[in-house]
Amino acid sequence: MGYVWDQIRGAIPLITHGNPYIMHLLWVSVRVALISTSAALVVGLPIGLALGLGRFRGRRALQILANASLALPPVVVGVGLLTLLLPQGAFGSLRIEFTLKAVYIAQAILALPYIVALTPAAIQALPPGLLAQARALGAGRVQLSIFALREAKIGLLAAVIAALGATISEIGAVVIVGGSFQGTDETLASALVDQFNYTGHDPVATAIAILLLAMILVLGGVLTVIQQRTGGIQLRFRAA
Amino acid sequence: MHLIWEELRVALPMIWHGNPYLFSIIWFTLQVAAVATGLATLIGLPIGLLLALGRFPGRRFLRALANASLALPPVLVGAILYLLMTVQAPLGSLRLIWTREAVFIAQTILALPFVVALSAAAIEALPDGLLAQARLLGASRRQLCTLALREARIGVIAAIIAALGTALSEVAAVTILGGNIYGYDQTLASATLFEVNGGHYADAVAIAIVLIAMILILMCGLGVLQQQGGGIRLRFRSAT
Repeated sequence: MGYVWDQIRGAIPLITHGNPYIMHLLWVSVRVALISTSAALVVGLPIGLALGLGRFRGRRALQILANASLALPPVVVGVGLLTLLLPQGAFGSLRIEFTLKAVYIAQAILALPYIVALTPAAIQALPPGLLAQARALGAGRVQLSIFALREAKIGLLAAVIAALGATISEIGAVVIVGGSFQGTDETLASALVDQFNYTGHDPVATAIAILLLAMILVLGGVLTVIQQRTGGIQLRFRAA
Repeated sequence: MHLIWEELRVALPMIWHGNPYLFSIIWFTLQVAAVATGLATLIGLPIGLLLALGRFPGRRFLRALANASLALPPVLVGAILYLLMTVQAPLGSLRLIWTREAVFIAQTILALPFVVALSAAAIEALPDGLLAQARLLGASRRQLCTLALREARIGVIAAIIAALGTALSEVAAVTILGGNIYGYDQTLASATLFEVNGGHYADAVAIAIVLIAMILILMCGLGVLQQQGGGIRLRFRSAT
């Protein structure tokens, strides 16, 4: 085990002393996670609400499609997007291939299924009579949406956290549309893969791995705390 | 738009005429999916059963851990396994790094959380009284497990399909541990990455099309199961 310890001992000072390369990766990862998840929320929340509350033909089929899109392989999204963004492609004139902007777009597309699929799931898990009652009492479409979101807020938060987790740890699309240029559009996760591909294993890779694990643990911790509170809320419903 | 057509014009014949390189990748991907999902099911199903049916201290904690492990970033699993398998490391003498065996091991470990956490969830979602009744009627441990698996079979199969999905589309751990060696241990997903890095976009598109086709087949299977699941839940409801 001596080797593993050496690696970890070498990695800790890099984090505590704030190695600029690693801190930059952390900053890029945080930005990608926040910007892509926000974009996915803006686009996905209305769709999720429509799927959760709407009563129209084909709603079930669309919901199955939304669930299936959770399984979209990131490399396929990456290749599809790159085909559009390359200079000869449909959006080539934007000139954003192999930049951080392309990474934001790719990760937003990958975060979208989480919001679109998990929002209706959270709304449908509400006590059966709740929304019907609100409808019967004459709630308008906007009121109903706000009400559903407020009641399903914990499921919604879980969806947001799942989206954040995916944008932090996913690499397939990031590497393809970003090109993985050191120090510009690398995230912690994609830099970790590059460390192994090009420079061999050294303390920098271990330090990146530790930071990545820390981010995921923080997200997981938040989710657990929220789920504990969910139990409390369900109890209140039952008691009522 | 004409870039897409150009890529498709090169990519589609590769698939039609059975390009040997493409077929070797498909074959290896199928092997990885079968071996990883098979092993993960063999190891994970007993653990899932134990977590769902067992009554021992620490069960809740282990259950939370199983759920959390679903969020483990594949890059991280790859990095940790590399740290254990590289030449100077504890398992270095086995010479696993950059071999097909390393890919099998990595994908098995990544598929395991899906089997464990989702099969446990499927068993826990069974109607409340069912297993208690079986216990009361004197079912042995083996009989109880068989009953739980039979009743929760749709959820268990969904868990296995989810495991197959990751085994097919995951790229980070495969790249780190397998080294993404041309024609040797590339899966469809890692080969897509490889071809994009080399600038062979048409080849990447061809491989991505095959990958998405496989995922679509899996999702159709899951959709059919969910329809059946609805039917079974209805039966339960009308029986109570």
